[in-house]
Amino acid sequence: MESLLSDDLLRQLMAAGQVDVVVGVPTLNNASTVGAVVHEVHLAFTGPFKRDRTVLINFDAGSEDNTPDLVRRASLVESETLVAPEAFRTVHRISSPYHGRPGKGGTLRALFAAAELLDAKAVALFDPDVTSLRADWVARLVRPVYRDGFDYVAPAFTRHPTEGPLVTQLARPLVRAAYGHRMLEPLSSEFACSLRFASHCLAQDVWSSPFLSYGVDIWLATTALAGGFRCGEAVLGPRVQAPSAERPGLPELFRQVVGALFTCLEMHQSYWLGREGSQPLARLSDGPLWNPEGTALDPAPLTESFRSGIRDLRPVLERILEADTLAEAERVAAVEGSAPDFGDALWTQTLTQFAAAHHREVMHRDHLIRALVPLYLGRTAAFLSENAGREAAAVEERLEALNLEFEKHKPQFVRRWKAEQGS
Amino acid sequence: MAEIFLDILRETWANYASAARAFLPRILAMLSIVLVGWLLALLLGFLTRKVLGWIRVERLSERTGTSELLKRADLPPANHLAGTVVFWLVFVGFLLSGLDALGFQGVEGLFSDFVRFIPRLIVGVFILLAGLLVANFAWRACLLAGVNAHLSGSRLLAGGVRILIMVLAAAMALDQIGIARGVVLTAFAMSFGAVMLAVAIAFGIAGAGLARRLVEDQLAGKEKKPPSDGMSHL
Repeated sequence: MESLLSDDLLRQLMAAGQVDVVVGVPTLNNASTVGAVVHEVHLAFTGPFKRDRTVLINFDAGSEDNTPDLVRRASLVESETLVAPEAFRTVHRISSPYHGRPGKGGTLRALFAAAELLDAKAVALFDPDVTSLRADWVARLVRPVYRDGFDYVAPAFTRHPTEGPLVTQLARPLVRAAYGHRMLEPLSSEFACSLRFASHCLAQDVWSSPFLSYGVDIWLATTALAGGFRCGEAVLGPRVQAPSAERPGLPELFRQVVGALFTCLEMHQSYWLGREGSQPLARLSDGPLWNPEGTALDPAPLTESFRSGIRDLRPVLERILEADTLAEAERVAAVEGSAPDFGDALWTQTLTQFAAAHHREVMHRDHLIRALVPLYLGRTAAFLSENAGREAAAVEERLEALNLEFEKHKPQFVRRWKAEQGS
Repeated sequence: MAEIFLDILRETWANYASAARAFLPRILAMLSIVLVGWLLALLLGFLTRKVLGWIRVERLSERTGTSELLKRADLPPANHLAGTVVFWLVFVGFLLSGLDALGFQGVEGLFSDFVRFIPRLIVGVFILLAGLLVANFAWRACLLAGVNAHLSGSRLLAGGVRILIMVLAAAMALDQIGIARGVVLTAFAMSFGAVMLAVAIAFGIAGAGLARRLVEDQLAGKEKKPPSDGMSHL
């Protein structure tokens, strides 16, 4: 296990000794935002965790903008005034270059290995480019693990129900219907977990899989659900991420997120195929779950992408979708109007047939996932158009109806999955 | 006079009977070779179909899009097609060997020529199959990339890529087999050159501005941003 960590990092970890809380911040050219993130983490260390032994570990994947120096120099002093009380324990701040397997998966593995070495009671991870991160995020995520014995705490972000359609239209209902747990943010980068869960993850034979380099977030969340770990979620507030030129466009983002989600379904099939219904996760902190202020979005470009996609991708889609589903999607695309009538039932059929086709590997899996993009855009356009101007509570009800449609459809999904397994 | 005629007739018939006596076993040998070859070809064709079925070649063929191409060409599934090819290769080999056994002048080298031809044929078929797979993969990748980048004419572009790769593979396969090598190479070089010239002229006239922008952006080190729909999907 120690071979995952460089000699220099090992020396720093040994100097830190045994700790209670480990917070990881993986970075790559995050100079503009990392200082504020580290500052907030330190406010948490010197506030809610001032009696505990804490360490912040920064794994830097080769920044060229001085990010590691900014992490080391991130100060608690603002305008010559100490803004946080001194911690009773030594706060350690370790910044180490990361030379392992590229991607977040490798960084997380190194973080878990470091946590094992430090015998930490709780491990948390935060993205370096989230500008809305506050010190109480750390407390809300870590405290249930550290004090109340939870194994995995996921965040719940405050957002308008029309925001984040990849979460609300795709990941959330599919994870809920399959795994039987109502996790609001299965794709979130932030989380806290116990050492027991970290050690369980380290012991899994998946770390060399390419999908973990980009899909480790969904893998962690679904592994916690499928492994029977004690899971909960903490409301953190809105999540605002700094714009970045390095962030991939929708097709690549879609390939990463949906590819990882379908791969997790494959890995955990022995767990979820036999489950029915769903249970809410323990809510570990209070706060509003939805923001009444939504951004008005024009569904017209999404609709156009859907229509041209359905027209051009027919030879690809007919190998993935069943004939009646494809015919219905084509009928919906052919109807004139600002947005297609892409209803819950059609979307549920479409997504589960794609998941089953991915399982059966009817074509190269990257191609299969990319073929889903226009259909997702059509569904998103339909949802945005249908709910434009509605109260957030009413939109939330529509999202719940979609989740229930996925649950209702699960027996059919399982039959399709098993039938195709045998073919 | 009549005696002479009868002698010639007797001698001719005697020669004919002697030739027939010598030839009849050869016919029987040929028939037995053809019969054994037919049975062996049937067996090998059957075994090929079964083995390919066991190793789930049909699934691979479905995944790579070969099944679809075969269906469009009104051909049987991949494992049946391979079985049929093996049957005919073996049967034709034995048939030529049988003809060889007859001892006719002009056909005695057919079997050895055929045996020498088989490896080239197999390599040619493999080149063609690999070309079809690559063409199908590239077609789908181009189509999906084009559609997701909102390019108009994605189908045309993807179709062009597929045809280009298939033509290249067919030319390579025919060259390998050695059929009309000169004609194939000349025809391929002419058509490929014509297509490339047409594309270059079309792009040079219609896309000069785009080319200039691309080169300028590249030299200025500007990063190309992916097309955005203005919303955060996460």
